[in-house]
Amino acid sequence: MIRMPRTIVLVIFLAVTACAPVQLFPTDATNGVDKEFDFTAWRTIPNAKTGQKVQLGGRVVQANGRNGGLIIIATQLPIVQQPAYGPKDMGRRSGEFAIFYAGSLDPKWLKPGNRLIVIGTTQEAKAVVVDDVQRSLPSLAARCLHVWNTGGKEIAEFPYNAGGGYEPLEEDTYCVPQ
Amino acid sequence: MRRLQRQAVMASLAVVCMWSLGAPAWGEQGGTILRPPGIPPVVAQAEPAPAAPAPSQGPTVLPPGGTSIEDLLLQKGSITMDEWIQIRAEQEYSGAESARRIDAIEDWKTRTELLPMLRDKVNFGLNALQFLYSHQDAHVPEGKSQDNFSIRRSELLFWGRISDTLPRWHALMEFQSINLGRETPTGGSGAATGQPIASTFFRESYIDFRPFQSWAPYMNFIRMGIFRMPFGIFTETSGGLRDIISSPYLTSVGSGNGNRTGSAGTIDFLQERDFFVDVRGKLFNRLEYVAGIMNNNNFHANATGANAPKSFYTRVRLFGTDVSWISFTSIQGESNNANTNINGRGKGAFDRYGLDFRYTSKIIPGLMVQGEWWQGHDGSNQTTVGRPANGACLDQAICGGSGAPGAQRRTWYVLGKYLISDGFLQNWEPTIMYEQFDPSTSMSNDLYTRTILGLTYYFENFPPKVQSKIQFNYEFRHHQGNGPGVPYDTTFDAFAQNAFLVQFQIRFM
Repeated sequence: MIRMPRTIVLVIFLAVTACAPVQLFPTDATNGVDKEFDFTAWRTIPNAKTGQKVQLGGRVVQANGRNGGLIIIATQLPIVQQPAYGPKDMGRRSGEFAIFYAGSLDPKWLKPGNRLIVIGTTQEAKAVVVDDVQRSLPSLAARCLHVWNTGGKEIAEFPYNAGGGYEPLEEDTYCVPQ
Repeated sequence: MRRLQRQAVMASLAVVCMWSLGAPAWGEQGGTILRPPGIPPVVAQAEPAPAAPAPSQGPTVLPPGGTSIEDLLLQKGSITMDEWIQIRAEQEYSGAESARRIDAIEDWKTRTELLPMLRDKVNFGLNALQFLYSHQDAHVPEGKSQDNFSIRRSELLFWGRISDTLPRWHALMEFQSINLGRETPTGGSGAATGQPIASTFFRESYIDFRPFQSWAPYMNFIRMGIFRMPFGIFTETSGGLRDIISSPYLTSVGSGNGNRTGSAGTIDFLQERDFFVDVRGKLFNRLEYVAGIMNNNNFHANATGANAPKSFYTRVRLFGTDVSWISFTSIQGESNNANTNINGRGKGAFDRYGLDFRYTSKIIPGLMVQGEWWQGHDGSNQTTVGRPANGACLDQAICGGSGAPGAQRRTWYVLGKYLISDGFLQNWEPTIMYEQFDPSTSMSNDLYTRTILGLTYYFENFPPKVQSKIQFNYEFRHHQGNGPGVPYDTTFDAFAQNAFLVQFQIRFM
């Protein structure tokens, strides 16, 4: 009689944990993050919302090193739960933003097309060069980055890739030491 | 871009000024001045003050757009009203022409965006085109050579994504699979051998179906069709992505017909492809699972009888990191020796248990080690495809086959490789692999072993879709024999003699 409730509890526990949301970042990094940040409004008036801690998804456009850090230009993508958690390209054109990351990453994480989620603080618009053109983009100082090495493909396409090959998706989280 | 625009505007301004200066002269010389008749030519600089628009009246008489360059020139008296009109007319004409061109481009863009190819609904690629040179030490029949050139694979792949509900379709054609597969007829040893009856150009065709979006990735999708089976690592890996040239022994080993020990003959321990339907998903963000049912009769089953005894399979894969795992596979069911397309299968209970792992080092980037261990039981009276068989009895006159009792088979391998990512050896990858195959664990003197030393150079290496490379493999092969007390000669046994292989591959999609 005691065993049965324990089994039920175990099954419920496993079911709940199996479907629990993915935790990519350390808790202290996610505290106070605005996950429903209005990117469009920020993009329109970048300097109106500075100093806000936000979470954004995106696709790497380019990355350059500067002063021991990195400037990553990313196209904003919505973060979805299904079919796989992460930024997903919906086919609609969205804006670009600049990420200032005070550290270095292996070049494989910075390949154009890679997906990322960044937690950081919004800053004033910065002048950056994208494809040899100087642009003013909304920017944020990254606290943590989670990057999927998709090489342009969707996260949900892994690991069962077209072409017949089991290819696990490389992903990793990087945070700026506090 | 803005700088260019400014430069273009300045250049236009300069041209306009030059034009305004030079137009009368051209008009006098060539008579082609664009001036309404009856209006005298006017040189801006020489124009008397009254004729020029006075600053006071300029703004009041100017048409809309008073801030443009030609408006300013007009205000300052640099150009006349006629010239201003001409400039505006030119601008409107060129503007209309630009708009027409843009409309045409937009029209084409709209059309091309609807092409299935550009919407990811239809794609095609080269799965693997491989040119192989091989030298084997084993003797060959008269008229054959120990040195061979061949096209190992010539596979075109087609795939696409229809919607979120149908996230992928897939078809793979192997253009050299023109050999007819033999049937395995029913009957005793006196029956006629099977005839070549069918070939299979399409190696793979499957559909992915995701019935509930909200269930993904926990229950990600259902896959149905024919494809590489999720058994371990090698079986599931495309020939265009493999680290060694030869297939591992767990796929196929040995040659000729079986004998009463169960140790001889060709044994296809794990078929690479089959007809199946399964469900796949991921739990805890760390545990992938597959569970399904298959025909257990290889990919020819459409032609020679799809309704073979079924088998169920499951695989769970636990990830230690994002790219390192350990997994366990189980296959349970039945097999038959009649009408089978798989060598070494007997009639009766059938099972396979597999353990595999892959370690992709983050400490030493480029280093990867993987291995698989498999064990499984084949029913009694195993057969070789094409050889008559009918039932589990060991009387070959009645039941054909090998006349061997059920056999427990076991195989394992370990493979390691290291991709050099800088220096003058950049893109070279040394590989080493050792494997064993024991056709019958209860029999002695039947072990297959092989050590492969490999060296790969990648011309392009962006797996899984792009991989062009040249591979050099030397294989140290050893085969003990065909069971205790069975006469055996290694001279013509390709599994007992070393081999050297070079393969050039292109894979692009």
